[in-house]
Amino acid sequence: MSVLDRKLARELRTSGGLLTAITSIMAVGVGCYVALGFAYQNLSIAKREYYARCRMADFAVEVKKAPLAEIVPLAEIPGVVEIRPRIQFFATVDLPRVEEPLNGIVLSLPDRRQPVINDVVLRRGGYFTDVRDNEVIVNDSFAKRQGLYPGQWVHLLLNNRRQELFIVGTAVSSEFTYLVGPGAITPDPEHLGVFYLKRSFAEDVFDFDGAANQVLGRLAPNVRDRPEEVLRRAELHLEPYGVFTSVPLSEQPSNRFLSNEIEGLEAFGFINPAIFLSVAALVLNVLMTRLTEQQRVVVGTLKALGYLDRQVFAHFLKFGLCVGLLSGVLGTAMGYWLSDAMTAMYRKFFEFPTLDTRFYLDTFVQGMVISLVCSLLGSVHGARAVLKLEPAEAMRPKPPTRGGAIWLERFRGFWGRLSFGSRMTLRNIVRHRFRTAAGMFAAAMGASLLVNALMLVDETHRMIDFQFNQVQRSDVDLAFKDEQGLAALDEARRLPGVDYAEPVFDVACTFVNGSHVRKGGITGLDPNARLTIPRDAEGRRLRIPSAGLTMNRKLAELLHLEHGDLVTIHPVKGLREPHCVPVAEINDAYLGLAVYADIHYLSRLVHEEWAVSGVQLAVNPNREAHRDLYRELKRLPALQAVTARADTIANVVDTLVKNQQVFIFLLVMFAGVIFFGSVLNSSLIGLAEREREVATLLVLGYTERQVGGLFLRESLLVNTFGTLFGLPLGYGLNVAISIAYDTDLFRIPVVDPKIIWLESLALGTLFALGAHAIVERTIWRMNWLEALKTKE
Amino acid sequence: MGEVEVTALRDVSLDVRDGELLAMLGPSGSGKSTLLNLIGGLDQPTSGKVYFRDRDLTRLSRAELTLYRRDAVGFVFQFYNLVPNLTARENVLVSTEISRDPLDVDEALRLVGLEERADHFPAQMSGGEQQRVAIARALAKKPELLLCDEPTGALDFETGKRILRLLVDVKQKLGKTVLIITHNSAIAAIADRVIRLRSGEVVETTEHPAPTPPEEIIW
Repeated sequence: MSVLDRKLARELRTSGGLLTAITSIMAVGVGCYVALGFAYQNLSIAKREYYARCRMADFAVEVKKAPLAEIVPLAEIPGVVEIRPRIQFFATVDLPRVEEPLNGIVLSLPDRRQPVINDVVLRRGGYFTDVRDNEVIVNDSFAKRQGLYPGQWVHLLLNNRRQELFIVGTAVSSEFTYLVGPGAITPDPEHLGVFYLKRSFAEDVFDFDGAANQVLGRLAPNVRDRPEEVLRRAELHLEPYGVFTSVPLSEQPSNRFLSNEIEGLEAFGFINPAIFLSVAALVLNVLMTRLTEQQRVVVGTLKALGYLDRQVFAHFLKFGLCVGLLSGVLGTAMGYWLSDAMTAMYRKFFEFPTLDTRFYLDTFVQGMVISLVCSLLGSVHGARAVLKLEPAEAMRPKPPTRGGAIWLERFRGFWGRLSFGSRMTLRNIVRHRFRTAAGMFAAAMGASLLVNALMLVDETHRMIDFQFNQVQRSDVDLAFKDEQGLAALDEARRLPGVDYAEPVFDVACTFVNGSHVRKGGITGLDPNARLTIPRDAEGRRLRIPSAGLTMNRKLAELLHLEHGDLVTIHPVKGLREPHCVPVAEINDAYLGLAVYADIHYLSRLVHEEWAVSGVQLAVNPNREAHRDLYRELKRLPALQAVTARADTIANVVDTLVKNQQVFIFLLVMFAGVIFFGSVLNSSLIGLAEREREVATLLVLGYTERQVGGLFLRESLLVNTFGTLFGLPLGYGLNVAISIAYDTDLFRIPVVDPKIIWLESLALGTLFALGAHAIVERTIWRMNWLEALKTKE
Repeated sequence: MGEVEVTALRDVSLDVRDGELLAMLGPSGSGKSTLLNLIGGLDQPTSGKVYFRDRDLTRLSRAELTLYRRDAVGFVFQFYNLVPNLTARENVLVSTEISRDPLDVDEALRLVGLEERADHFPAQMSGGEQQRVAIARALAKKPELLLCDEPTGALDFETGKRILRLLVDVKQKLGKTVLIITHNSAIAAIADRVIRLRSGEVVETTEHPAPTPPEEIIW
């Protein structure tokens, strides 16, 4: 180790506070990069392997019922490699230990194991045997939650008949990596299961002999990105059998949630580290400029002794490189730990056969390189000053720093009224322009992170409140297998514990406006519905028009429709005649793309007398009432699904909100690191520069607190101004995120930021005060007699 | 604001002899530091020539000047200019590490009588001790020229004399050429030759065939 390196090592050791400040900011940046990068690769690799293993379908077409003979020719469509007809139904599940009826997706699988599209990966037990017809494979997460094991019996209501099924195994499948029920945003493995039946048995119980109601297909690689033409031809072919939807892989719900998450990681993997690393580079720049200034004489002496410019330059650059190296290593360690935590969280949302935390050498190397490049960028300016210093000049005492008046002093009235401390503070801020700018930039970045994080919290709460308290107000929703008449509503009203019931009529349809086509559905409601209330963004109740639709704003945008425009609907029900109907109202909702219509009007459109596809219930809050209701519901054969609002909210809170809280906490802490590190850095540098000034003030009889107050005033002023710049920036960031996440699955309601701005200002100040505590301690410990003696 | 041009040296012509102890005497602002910097290769004149043996220093590039300083010159400064967070031994190492044929570090410290204090940091040493480390640092490179800028300027009388004795020994025992800058005419008495500078010009040159030993001078 050369003697200069020894000098460097000691400098690093003695500049603990400064090093902590800068390294923590940079390490958080590298940590974010590594964590998001690792998590991204963990998910992408798991997804790729899983999709390949299960032979994930590239598209699915759902029909009412089509004979197999008519499905087979779909394989002839150019671009289609392979197809698989499947039977798919919803069912309710009756578990004796569970009060409420649970929901199940029932799917057919070949009687004998063979590789198929959307295959399963067995977890426990085995595949179907020849022993029984009524064997079932249950999805693993539901089985785990409900304590189901191979060898047990389970009861499902299949096609109006209670069927006893023998569990042979549990399994997972890539099509249900993110298993959500219709309209839900979080997986609810406690209330929703997937049940795989032998194809022969499914044909039998659903009366689907030689028929199917779903076609899965795989595409040739060259058409995988543009499946539209294939889907169009498939729909055309299956038209006589009633096509409900055709879904390319990109629209498949599980895949969308998973891909959204992966894309989000990629985007944040760039933005977040960029914020931290740019702040770190600036803060390091301030530090390095100070370091070279402080060591003027050493630089001069080294040069006089015969050290080459580049040797001295390299010596100072090494300080920055050490910061980069240290941050890189710490950041990678933190990033790995964080990616592990994130991956553990993903295991709660996504069901993979294996989702491991791995170490990716390339990402690690990238993280280190980014850290080193960033530290070099931060130190090159300061170190370059070394090159310019002439040895003879460097050894002379530094010319007095630019004194004189600052521009603020021209406002005599204002300036005259300031105390000496305030004048000193203002002069320092104005004279150290770059340092002030760096401090403000750091505070602005910290504040924008805070604002965005706190807004996201409010927005999630608003989304939940709006969706589950204001729009959907029923306690329990029932969905029927087939349309029912008025009698079903009356029967629902008579169910035990039910205070009030309203009919719902769902019609799947295609919306067409010129070239804009979108598949979706219309929900028919009672014109005076109390349990589903369409609202606008301000929360105002919207009427349900006697003619025309109340359309979701996002869907209207996608279809290029405005209030009062006409849209053509092609219902997949009744006579399937297209109708041209007006968009009478535009509603706002943050989940899904709901379109509402008067139930009578909608029934007439599809030529049904008065039909209901489901009922919404307001239930007596009494626990006993719920129990009675559930007991009764378990016996109802016509039910397809039962959803309790309380369960849905609890599930969203339990998964989405709780995980978000962890994420937000981290973001706030990270923002804190920026505030803390930046304030600490500039204060400690100021303190070192003005050691004599501080010592003199102490000798004159100022207390440590008063002297500290001078530094505090400076920090707070810079911090507050920076934060004020950051507040609208954070709002902008939040709006950008809400635009990025604006999809037909869900949208983020941008909330009013005013209170959050105040909170962020307070938090930013708090972090700055935390850093100041260290500065004050340094002043207390300062040997001021020594400081007065020093010549330099 | 324009810069004011200041002439530091004018019409100075000076030969330094091998193995002599030359004192340059003058009040502050007389140009003695500038002259030392020119000789030491720290600065270049706007006009005129500086030769070291047969080499024209004014024609050397920045890097060549650095090598000249590295190989031929040892500096001793008024405020010692030690690196604060390096020990005495390490401060000497700073110069031996870039030198082609350096003295042994401990040998250099022995020459200045500091072998006992080798592991002390500058802050743990007196001014005189620090200056002796600085001299050891300069000597360790085996320079032909030892340039001392007010070497006793920051020291008390007794300590200052001990440093001067060391410099005289460097000349006598090691045969080096030593240049001392001082504003203190009493100190100049130890030199073989004294040039007196005023306002950038050499106003007087005095030869001392028998210089006063440092122990006998008084100021």
